[in-house]
Amino acid sequence: MDNKELTEKSGNRRIPLVLASFAGVFIVYFIIMSMISPGKKLSAIRSEYAIQPSEQNPPDKRLYSDSAYIGMLKEKSFLKAKIAMAETDSVSLALNLADSTANLEISGVRVHSARMTGIRISKILLSGNPETICSMLSRPLNIVRDFATIKKEPLMIKMAPKDTSEFKPDVIPDTSDYEPVNYILETDSGLRIIVYQSEEVNPSDKRRLFFFDLNDRFRTLWSALKDVAVFKIPDYKPYIRIRLPKADAKVIYRAIPRKGQVAVYI
Amino acid sequence: MENDNLRDKALNNINVNVLTNSGSGSQDIFNKILQNEKLLIYLRITLIGIGSTLAVILIFAFFLYALPGLQQLSSGSKAKLSKVSELLDDQAYRKQTSLMQKELHQLSRKYSSFTSGLSYVVINTIDNRFLLYRNKKMIREGFCSSGSYTMLKTQGEKKWIFKTPKGKYWIRGKTTSPVWRRPDWAFVEEGLPVPSDNDPSRWEYGVLGDYAMSIGDGYLIHGTLYKRFLGMPVTHGCVRLNDEDLEAIYNTLSIGSKVYIF
Repeated sequence: MDNKELTEKSGNRRIPLVLASFAGVFIVYFIIMSMISPGKKLSAIRSEYAIQPSEQNPPDKRLYSDSAYIGMLKEKSFLKAKIAMAETDSVSLALNLADSTANLEISGVRVHSARMTGIRISKILLSGNPETICSMLSRPLNIVRDFATIKKEPLMIKMAPKDTSEFKPDVIPDTSDYEPVNYILETDSGLRIIVYQSEEVNPSDKRRLFFFDLNDRFRTLWSALKDVAVFKIPDYKPYIRIRLPKADAKVIYRAIPRKGQVAVYI
Repeated sequence: MENDNLRDKALNNINVNVLTNSGSGSQDIFNKILQNEKLLIYLRITLIGIGSTLAVILIFAFFLYALPGLQQLSSGSKAKLSKVSELLDDQAYRKQTSLMQKELHQLSRKYSSFTSGLSYVVINTIDNRFLLYRNKKMIREGFCSSGSYTMLKTQGEKKWIFKTPKGKYWIRGKTTSPVWRRPDWAFVEEGLPVPSDNDPSRWEYGVLGDYAMSIGDGYLIHGTLYKRFLGMPVTHGCVRLNDEDLEAIYNTLSIGSKVYIF
């Protein structure tokens, strides 16, 4: 074996090593960027929703660590958001995580109420300054995108019969309830509301829900990868995960418009 | 092909040895495998394949499941709130809290004012149920039928979507013994030719029950002949009720009463 052959062989061996090192560095870089992203989101929330102190009557900073005062501030934010939603004629959603209720409202009138059986909140919503989070939630969150395992409008297409002989009267609609319910509502503030059904699901539905969740995780990962590839800190989306009885979860998803509004009390 | 033959031979040798010389034990088999280079290459390739697949799965699992969890850890700790007792004696604090309470009271009153003390009806088109309210109390509930979410298409370009609109409406008109003026789709749906606007075949008596209440845009709350379909989405957009519920709603609601549909 001459020198040239040896160099070629070692060069060939080096390529996978270089690629592996590059992949390793990128993975570490991606992890670091992902870990930074919640902090970046928190500071973005702080700068966007921080309460501007009035010069004449500056608030006492100690108030913001007082549970009684923060409790009132939360109540005020929720009421303000609900009033803003009530001024429209469409269906909106009010989530009260303190008393575990999800209410559908039309013009401020509660038309449907559901009890949550489980709640999980992104830590960022609890660790940020409570007054800033209250300020963020004092406006209704506008739904910008949704993903679901069920159809929003289960539209059936029927071709008109050519004549009376083709007409089939009194066809009973298929109202069987077989689909598992899981959906994600993405809002303009970046907050994601993820709704699961409380009831146990059968194995085939479990598989369907697993792939729905996996698909969402891949979507998030892909979006983060795109950001990191251009040296941007990925956008972190805080979440509220709730569990509702299947029937209520379905009613809520189908009732709220695609660009509907949500008020949240944390 | 040649490789496959060699591998088969090696495996046959192993099998023959195992059958004929079972006493020599697994040590012999292991030695034979070690001596067979081709088999070793296959084994190595298989192991590398399995290892790489597992590594890829693990990397994805880390990014898809573990990393979001780690992000939670980097989100900081829960904000600490406590009852600040020193503030209770502070005049400025008392002033701020009383201002806040006043504001809350005003907002609360404003929000409550949206729910009328007058009569109104809530229609749930997903479960096909209705709730009738008076003085903010539910006084009657039952089944109804709402839009079927059917799109009727003709061979041409025409199409109709049969769904009940959602949102806030109000009673715009009330009639007794209503007569139905069949729209074009009613003929198209049955495969009949569409008659002229004033054709007598457009008028149908007794199919809407004893009462009808208009909520605008041609949508009505009315009775039905098809009571077995109550609780199901079968209508062309109107809300159908049984005779007793229809009468109760007709007598409770007046023109201007709100109808909330979701």
